[in-house]
Amino acid sequence: MAKLEILHFPDPRLRTRALPVPVVDAAIRQLIDDMFETMYAAPGIGLAATQIDFHQRLLVVDVSEEKDQPLVFINPEILLRDGVEEMEEGCLSVPGIYDKVQRAERIKVRALDRDGQTFELEADGLLAVCIQHEIDHLDGKLFVDYLSNLKRQRIRKKLEKARRQGEPDPVAEHGETAL
Amino acid sequence: MPAETVSARTLAAKAVQQVVQEGRSLSQCLPALLAQAAPIDRSLTQELAYGVLRWHARLQQQLQQLLSHPLKAKDQDIGCLLLVGLYQLIHTAIPPHAAVHATVEAVRATGKRWAVPLANAVLRAYQRRQTELEARADAQPTSRYAHPDWLIEMLRADWPQDWQAILTANNERPPFVLRVNTRQGEVASYRAALQAEGMQNTTLSVAEQALRLDQPVAVERLPGFADGAVSVQDAAAQLAAQLLDVHAGMRVLDACAAPGGKTSHILERSPELAELVAVEIDPARVPRIEQNLQRLGLSAQIIIGDASRPDSWWDGRQFERILLDAPCSATGVIRRHPDIKSLRRTADLEDLTVTQSDLLDAMWPLLAPGGMLLYATCSVLRRENEQQIERFLQRHPDAQEAELRVAWVVDWGRQVSHGRQILPGAAGGDMDMDGFYYASLIKRCEDS
Ligand SMILES: C[S@@+](CC[C@H](N)C(=O)[O-])C[C@H]1O[C@@H](n2cnc3c(N)ncnc32)[C@H](O)[C@@H]1O
Repeated sequence: MAKLEILHFPDPRLRTRALPVPVVDAAIRQLIDDMFETMYAAPGIGLAATQIDFHQRLLVVDVSEEKDQPLVFINPEILLRDGVEEMEEGCLSVPGIYDKVQRAERIKVRALDRDGQTFELEADGLLAVCIQHEIDHLDGKLFVDYLSNLKRQRIRKKLEKARRQGEPDPVAEHGETAL
Repeated sequence: MPAETVSARTLAAKAVQQVVQEGRSLSQCLPALLAQAAPIDRSLTQELAYGVLRWHARLQQQLQQLLSHPLKAKDQDIGCLLLVGLYQLIHTAIPPHAAVHATVEAVRATGKRWAVPLANAVLRAYQRRQTELEARADAQPTSRYAHPDWLIEMLRADWPQDWQAILTANNERPPFVLRVNTRQGEVASYRAALQAEGMQNTTLSVAEQALRLDQPVAVERLPGFADGAVSVQDAAAQLAAQLLDVHAGMRVLDACAAPGGKTSHILERSPELAELVAVEIDPARVPRIEQNLQRLGLSAQIIIGDASRPDSWWDGRQFERILLDAPCSATGVIRRHPDIKSLRRTADLEDLTVTQSDLLDAMWPLLAPGGMLLYATCSVLRRENEQQIERFLQRHPDAQEAELRVAWVVDWGRQVSHGRQILPGAAGGDMDMDGFYYASLIKRCEDS
């Protein structure tokens, strides 16, 4: 397995609209494994293929506390939406930024699983929010698009500055001196 | 979407609590805590944890004065959060209202609602009474220097001229020093590679492969790091491989090897060794040696074993060079590991000095006549250093001290009664190295 690199806002590749996965084969399953590894390491609860620069309709999710309920959605479609909910969201492609976004409270989704079998699932709460957030990625959309222009500009500047400065490394900063 | 993360203040306070209450080291407990932080909060978490432990004795004294009665043992989580709050007010550029707000929120997140007004009151009272509280902290050595009393006393006894400079240096931030792997390229070309990335750096006259970066960076951003072009190691530690003076064809023993910093430096400098044997007692630390060697493209014979009992692993062939980088109080590297001040006890010192002399005695028979044993510690206490060598020389008439020369610099560190002592940071002069001690022992040939 391999950890993949996550694209960061304002990378234009995050704006790509993904195409359907044509066949669920061994290569896709390998990619799914790598996406889970990347997501858990981040640490995250959802990751869309777009975020790792692979532009087919595929996403992985695990909102469980124990990190033991991995879910895969291939070519997902939202069949039903119901209610309105506002939740604070963040995004692995927009590190450190959190803001409130409104989404449907409950959804019904149809997708293929990792064996290429069709399944349907009803979700609410965090799971529903997370699936909607990840499907947005497949359409080239980010949660910051729901915020005001001004806020988005500020976020862009903040992230660009953070990137230039880099993040000092825990071990390196204090040196490798064994006791 | 990111997983729900824990705030930097909460995580830093947890790290402090694990160190101070449970006696765990920062390097043991911090990685798991950092994994719960949002990536953007990791460096802040770390800065707060290191900072609070650096100033712990002082902050603790100030906190006591701000509380009308001491916190209960079960409320030490609140106590640690308050220390994190005070640290931000005193030592960081975080605007005071933001420091107070974030800390109070972290207190609220513990679920102890009674502590929310307390946290507000304590942090605001500090702001009001800052001048008075700082003056009071300066009035007592423990809080002034933020070191335990016994250590201040020991340093004062050992270094009557320098103890204050040592204590001050221990509270400074350490420099970020690299070691260029000269098997892959020259120091000058790596310098240029760094400069091309905008990473300003300087060479150091004593340590031949060392470059000091002006600004610390994540190691992954160092050119060629993953491919072994460079390692992170203080200049004082880099002197070991130079002093060991290894030549082609020699058999070399590194008796206390993990995590392999000096093992790999010896190999980088001397490609044509007959053999390098690296011994390490702690199996949990051995993978670190392997990872370091692998990244640097080097290999050594690694043995998990007790260097003080060579019978169980030694094949009977003597070594021309032995590096004994002994376990020690680490009092020379407090600026890199401020948790040492909370973890170390006087009783440890007694055990350590016994271990050190056992190791010296056990290694001596493994040294070939005419060969050199280099004794090293990252301690500044005489009992672990020159006094240890003094007693060793009395026990072993066939041992003789040799001059310690590095590069073309004759005068580095300080000549002490036996060996050379480097004092940390500015206490040791303008080379700004970690506190370290070296002594070189030569085994006389029978007929001389
Ligand atoms: C100061 S550190 C060595 C640092 C290492 N030389 C480097 O430069 O990376 C001391 C090491 O000695 C190990 N050690 C302690 N007692 C030992 C013994 N009796 N035999 C072998 N190793 C021992 C410790 O586990 C620790 O890893």
